[in-house]
Amino acid sequence: MTFSTRRIFAILQKDYKDLSRNLFVSTTLIMPLLMAVLFGRMGIEGIASHYLIINLGFILVGAYVQSSLIAEEKEKNTLRGLMLSPASTLEIFCGKSLLSFIATAVVVAGSIWLSGYNPRNLAVIAIALVLSAVFYVGLGTLIGLFTKSVMEASVVIVPVMFIFSSGSFLTPFIDKYPVLAVVEYMPNLQLLELANRVEAGAGLGDVLLHLLVILAWVLVIHAVAAYVYKKRMVDE
Amino acid sequence: MENIIEVTSLQKAFGSSRALKDVTFSVKRGEIFGFLGPSGSGKTTTIKILTAQLRPTSGSAYAFGVSTEQLNSEKYRQKVGIITDNTALYGRLNVYDNLKLYCDLYGVPYQRIAEVLQMVNLAGEEKKPVSKLSKGMLQRVILARAFLHEPELLFLDEPTSALDPVNTKHIHEGLLLLKEKGTTIFLTTHDMNEAEALCDRVAFLNDGEIRLLDSPKKLRQQRGEPTLTVELADGSMVIVPKGPEGADQMFRYMSSNQLVSVQSNHPTLGDIFVEVTGRKLA
Ligand SMILES: Nc1ncnc2c1ncn2[C@@H]1O[C@H](COP(=O)(O)OP(=O)(O)O)[C@@H](O)[C@H]1O
Ligand SMILES: [Mg+2]
Repeated sequence: MTFSTRRIFAILQKDYKDLSRNLFVSTTLIMPLLMAVLFGRMGIEGIASHYLIINLGFILVGAYVQSSLIAEEKEKNTLRGLMLSPASTLEIFCGKSLLSFIATAVVVAGSIWLSGYNPRNLAVIAIALVLSAVFYVGLGTLIGLFTKSVMEASVVIVPVMFIFSSGSFLTPFIDKYPVLAVVEYMPNLQLLELANRVEAGAGLGDVLLHLLVILAWVLVIHAVAAYVYKKRMVDE
Repeated sequence: MENIIEVTSLQKAFGSSRALKDVTFSVKRGEIFGFLGPSGSGKTTTIKILTAQLRPTSGSAYAFGVSTEQLNSEKYRQKVGIITDNTALYGRLNVYDNLKLYCDLYGVPYQRIAEVLQMVNLAGEEKKPVSKLSKGMLQRVILARAFLHEPELLFLDEPTSALDPVNTKHIHEGLLLLKEKGTTIFLTTHDMNEAEALCDRVAFLNDGEIRLLDSPKKLRQQRGEPTLTVELADGSMVIVPKGPEGADQMFRYMSSNQLVSVQSNHPTLGDIFVEVTGRKLA
């Protein structure tokens, strides 16, 4: 398995040029920022509201833009060219994830600033946000690998947005159906819980468990994506 | 001569339909080897197996002495170039940026871009967006992309099937140039003229089976009728046997200054294909 930064940056650069000419996808980047401006103007308070916007950034940019980038390569038959080149799976994955990751980081940082969220412990929150961004980009890769076109990815993202939206719609039922407690381990809820505790004064050590759970999600989603990709390399 | 590709008793079934029945052939280093067959005969399936995009049902396929099952290595992919019927470029990028990406992927200097564009007669078209290219230009850029890293082995799946004669000629010239530089080319086509113009050897593929394999010249000679068509001064055409029994006749035409032209009666590869398989190529 090779790891060449020349190849990775070449794919990143290609994606950047491609995306900058793709209105359909690039307008998506603005949505979370618009929401943030709106919320900032209204003077919203409370961690939950901030994370509503942050989550929107994760899903629309991290997951959706990434899934479109992958789905389009499949739809237009360009992914095969990358697969058949000497680039390794790792290089292709890194190269194809980098642009979405950077865009997510920029959009989420921008929306945090615009909505006036001021974390009590920026370092811990930054680690949690970076891990979450990597997770959502991996989720996007997986969606892109399963869908055949950008259109299909745009449809699939709707239930995904529902499932991973902040303050899951399922939490109110946990008391009634204990089985739903697993929902609390969802990466979005872990992030929210972590943010709440940081706001209450918790340090890195106190939220380590939450970070580890998010990290586990990161590892699992990328392992699954890599497995699906390898399977897709060979038609049956 | 060394064999670059060795295929033995290759079979591929899709469910109950057998795309390849029992295919055996080898490709020598430096030659242009043609797979000639009508649509659905198994050409693309063979290329996909040889490039590790598809697993064979049984039999073996070796390239560079390594089983294609193990060919998903970066080292192998550096040595081969592949153009299939769904090879595509990035439409929003221009020609240069498309080729630049592949320079980076294959570790080739950017100066090579101008060289390969020259080879496919597209010099100076670097800045053109790929979405604005004609079908013929597009196919030539795809070919240029495959030339970038000067592959030792090039797979081409019907490289000129959508092109007009002028573009086809450019591509053929490019391929012959590449062959001169030592690239081995495995090419599929349903165009007998293409096979005749390019291939050192052709295999006739029909229904997943190779029915005949030889150089186009030998195939035509072996199956040629032993006659000549002679054009005379009065405009008439006469068929003359090639053997001694025709010698007197030829002597008479020549000594009385009646002979305008002589043509040997060889069937085309298309004729032979119909004869062997009972099927037309197109
Ligand atoms: N993925 C597939 N699934 C099912 N059948 C297939 C598949 N690919 C090819 N075939 C069948 O295998 C046969 C050979 O196809 P192919 O190799 O594409 O032919 P060619 O390239 O010579 O036109 C055809 O009958 C085709 O329908
Ligand atoms: Mg085909």
